Amino acid sequence: MDEPTSTFSFLGLTFNWTTIISTLIAMSIVVLIAVLLTRKVAIRPSKGQNAIEYVLDFVRGILGDQLPANLARQFGLYAFTLFLFLIVANEMGLLLQVKMGNGVTYVKSPTADPLFAFTLAIMSLMLAHGTGVKALGFGGYLKNMFFKPYVAMFPLNVVEQFTNFLTLALRLFGNIFAGELMLNLLASLAWGTHLNGFWIILAFPLEIAWQAFSLLIGGIQAYVFVMLTGVFTAQLSGNE
Amino acid sequence: MVPTLSMSKAMPLGDMVFIIVAFLTLMVILKYVAYGPLTKALDARADKINNDLDSAQKANEDATALVAQREQELAAGKDQASQVISNAKKSAKDQSEALLKTANDQALSLKKVAEADADQLKSEALATAKKDVADLSVTIASKLMQKNLSADDQRSLIDAYLAELDQQ
Repeated sequence: MDEPTSTFSFLGLTFNWTTIISTLIAMSIVVLIAVLLTRKVAIRPSKGQNAIEYVLDFVRGILGDQLPANLARQFGLYAFTLFLFLIVANEMGLLLQVKMGNGVTYVKSPTADPLFAFTLAIMSLMLAHGTGVKALGFGGYLKNMFFKPYVAMFPLNVVEQFTNFLTLALRLFGNIFAGELMLNLLASLAWGTHLNGFWIILAFPLEIAWQAFSLLIGGIQAYVFVMLTGVFTAQLSGNE
Repeated sequence: MVPTLSMSKAMPLGDMVFIIVAFLTLMVILKYVAYGPLTKALDARADKINNDLDSAQKANEDATALVAQREQELAAGKDQASQVISNAKKSAKDQSEALLKTANDQALSLKKVAEADADQLKSEALATAKKDVADLSVTIASKLMQKNLSADDQRSLIDAYLAELDQQ
């Protein structure tokens, strides 16, 4: 949507208030959840600890399916952070969107911003490529990336590397962005120009249904993003 | 109204830097708040479960060994007990036999003594009787016959007569 944005410049770089505020809120929620659930870490877990241990086990399970044990262990913290951050960021906009009088939405899902999704994708892929270089050496890494299974596949492999990046970012962004777009459309339907009561009655259950669906989508996208990070890392480090 | 992405505007590099820095900060915070303690707790739990399993296995083995030992000891105890009982029976039998034997011996010797006494009494009585009979016969004979038959002649005559009786 061609919405107005509020930006400021600092050290010659352009910053977008929406991204900064939304990211900080998502971060705060993650930290708050983590702190609350791990107040008393013990061998015999409390309810909260059980919950976050389940998340950790889940993330470890995603990585363990793709990567050898030592790599999975190295990626544990990254994947754990990524998963918690993404799931909070994805669901955040379903609950809370703040639009100011100047038409700028200051708070929404940070992952509904393509830049955010691309940044996370770049970060994940840089990690994956770095792991590949570390595991195979630079020559081996290039050979593994471009000339597998045989040299003639080179053009396709180049395209594949590019599309990997695009799909990783766009899948996340597209799903969350579309979800929020639909929510906004349904909300504007409710406050239609005439026959107010009627449209609210129609829009309210639709909004509920779409929020439920988006909740599911948000969770799935967080899962898929972490899983694809694992898959690309495995591919690039020759652990397919 | 054509939807355009904010990417199409000036590339907000600052946002990317901010996002990456924020993510790395979050990673560090989570490491100290959640991930570190949780992995430590999980490892500790895995260790504890391993140790518990090991010690349970050991305890089980110990218990099995102990049961075998106890059974062996019980069997040994039973053997010992039956041996003690059979010993006791044997000694009781021996004792009773010995007692019986002494009693028999005593009875036999008593019988012998009694027999000897009886024989003696009998022979004494016989001797007294012989004498009395001889004297009586002499008296009677001297009275009957009124003869001067000497007592010595009479006695030898009666002795000869009695000897004849004994031989019969």
